Amino acid sequence: MKRFAGIVLCAVLLMTLAVGAAAAGKVTLVLSGWQASPEEQQLVKDALEVFAKKYPDIEVKYEPIVEDYSTKIKTMLAARNAPDVFYVDIFWAEPLMKRGMLLALDPYMAKTGTKRSDFAETLLNGFTYDGKTYGIPKDFNTLGLFYNKKMFDEAKIPYPTPDWTWDTLRDVAKKLTNVVGDPAKDRYGICLPVDAARFRPFLVQSGAQFVDKTGTKCLFASPEGIRALDFYTSFKTKDKSAVIPSEVGAGWGGDAFGKERVAMVLEGGWLIPYLNNNFANVEYGVCELPKGPAGRGNVYFTVSYSVAASCKHPEEAWLLVEHLTGYENQKKVLETGFALPTRIALGEHPFFKDNPNMAAIFKGYAYAVPWQFGEHSEKIMNVLNQAIEKVYLKNESPEKAMKDAVKEIDGILSE
Amino acid sequence: MRASPGGRPGTMWSRMAASLRKESVSEAITGYLFVSPFLVTIGTFIFFAAVYAFYLSFHKYDLFSPPEFVGLANYRKLLTNTDFRIALRNVAVYTAGVVPTQTAVAIALAVLANQKLKLRGFFRSAYYVPCITSSVASSLIFMWLYYKQGIINYILSLLRLPSNIDWLGNPSTALPAIMTLVIWTTSAYFMVVFLAALQDIPTSVYEASKIDGASGWQTFWHVTLPLLRPSIFLVVVLGTIGCMQVFDQVYIMTRGGPLKSTMSIVYLVYTEAFGDLKFGYGAAMAFALFAVIFVLTLIQRKYLDIKIEY
Repeated sequence: MKRFAGIVLCAVLLMTLAVGAAAAGKVTLVLSGWQASPEEQQLVKDALEVFAKKYPDIEVKYEPIVEDYSTKIKTMLAARNAPDVFYVDIFWAEPLMKRGMLLALDPYMAKTGTKRSDFAETLLNGFTYDGKTYGIPKDFNTLGLFYNKKMFDEAKIPYPTPDWTWDTLRDVAKKLTNVVGDPAKDRYGICLPVDAARFRPFLVQSGAQFVDKTGTKCLFASPEGIRALDFYTSFKTKDKSAVIPSEVGAGWGGDAFGKERVAMVLEGGWLIPYLNNNFANVEYGVCELPKGPAGRGNVYFTVSYSVAASCKHPEEAWLLVEHLTGYENQKKVLETGFALPTRIALGEHPFFKDNPNMAAIFKGYAYAVPWQFGEHSEKIMNVLNQAIEKVYLKNESPEKAMKDAVKEIDGILSE
Repeated sequence: MRASPGGRPGTMWSRMAASLRKESVSEAITGYLFVSPFLVTIGTFIFFAAVYAFYLSFHKYDLFSPPEFVGLANYRKLLTNTDFRIALRNVAVYTAGVVPTQTAVAIALAVLANQKLKLRGFFRSAYYVPCITSSVASSLIFMWLYYKQGIINYILSLLRLPSNIDWLGNPSTALPAIMTLVIWTTSAYFMVVFLAALQDIPTSVYEASKIDGASGWQTFWHVTLPLLRPSIFLVVVLGTIGCMQVFDQVYIMTRGGPLKSTMSIVYLVYTEAFGDLKFGYGAAMAFALFAVIFVLTLIQRKYLDIKIEY
């Protein structure tokens, strides 16, 4: 009797397993990104709904990571436990590509007829290593000059135009500064934080290259590089027309701008929804960054959808990446005004005509350098931040600060 | 072995001993089973992790490729690392400031909370709240207090004192600002240790000092404090270890800045390992820190640890 019961039990178990296996013809993929704003998250969820209708056999679990995204992804990758599809920031893409943590997408792209040339080349190059494609940029941003219209009107200064030069920027920042000694009323021309990402465009505008051809010698200590640091820091140290966010009780530049403590700030498209949600009364415009002595320069930020090398269903994972970075989805994202498209075909979209602010940020891409410094991005960024900080807080000369920084960067590059 | 009484050697007594042994073995097994969840957890996440980190400290390891043996190279590199030296100095200043202050404050709080006051329970809980608050939450609250337009500067301005200070943005005030926060949170924790010790001191000792005509202050200085010495030792050792390993507050409030003035060793370990993928080097730093703490504890033991008998 006992044995019989056992046999029945086994049979039942086997049957459920068989049923489970039939249902498992459905492939499950895990998708992760950092937790952006609720609106942005909704866009991902909407895109997944469309995907589920298109591919009913593929189930996608969306598992956003709340804090410390890159740390968590790196440890998950090391444990071979990573999500199948996830965001990779250009800032730390190289170490992952170099170590074979990401799946080369080229064979899968060929199968579905997606061409590299469909995407903006410079953006795609950030996720290319040894000629192979390790991610498809999902969107990008550059920096624009955000300006407070009311403050310009009050000071009777015309709004910024793309042909502004360094001198115009400095001059206007001085005119817009109004320090009365009351921290609640003081206004400053511009917010220039201790942040290498905001400083980077000025290096390009001044004509300073990051490294020489060998890639081991940093060139920021050139007269052009020193000129850029001198210009960036002079607003605060000489003209007293710039502040860092904490000086005006703000968490970051966009916050200082929203609180109307500064008239201008260098930020990307992410500031637009932030202002709409938190400071809807602020009237602002966005303009291309001013021209420097060596012409135009900017920096771009981009994030890809990549597939983990350990992914068990690469075919299906690619279909997901293709859908999320596809023409239809990017068009939808663009039309909500959240991010700029990476597909060349969308560059001429009528949206830009009606949205001069987004258009200004989009234009910066033509002359921008990527926001990354190769394998040691984070360390080099910290060294550059220190250089700005030394001039701000220790009154060190920009020349000495830059030369010391480059000495340190050369050490990091030759490791 | 002594002969068993009753002239019947062996049999009954040895049987009893055997059954006892069996019982004690099974008792031991039960005991180990009870502690096994703890042993497995601590074994995996502390002992194994520590041993593996020691192994890694002799390797070059980037998390993804297999560890590559490099001998003492990581430790040698440490000797010339200026950031490590800065962090060591910061942590020394930090520990020297925090440990004596938090110990003194903890004793004072404990003595106060030990009085027969009205609302004693309320005061005891109120003192203890900072220490059960998560360090992340308290760090964020203090960031608001320390803002240039924050409450601290507002109070200073009411007192007509210099009030235009960016506490966390100024290299000379950032570290003291973090130290103040930590003293506020940890003193309460150590207060509990002293409170327990105070209640262990027999009343007869106090009665004796009263009969000898000691004032309240004299009693505290010559009776209470010496009798608290074992607890002081404990608190100083635990406090020093905690201070040398400061991380959360630095990570949340300043990220080691401005100008590396709040860079702590553990924060440096974190940036090297997770920022620059140098896990072997980070592990070597962690063991250098371990060596420093170990030596400090030995010194403290030599000078502070004494046994007290009533």
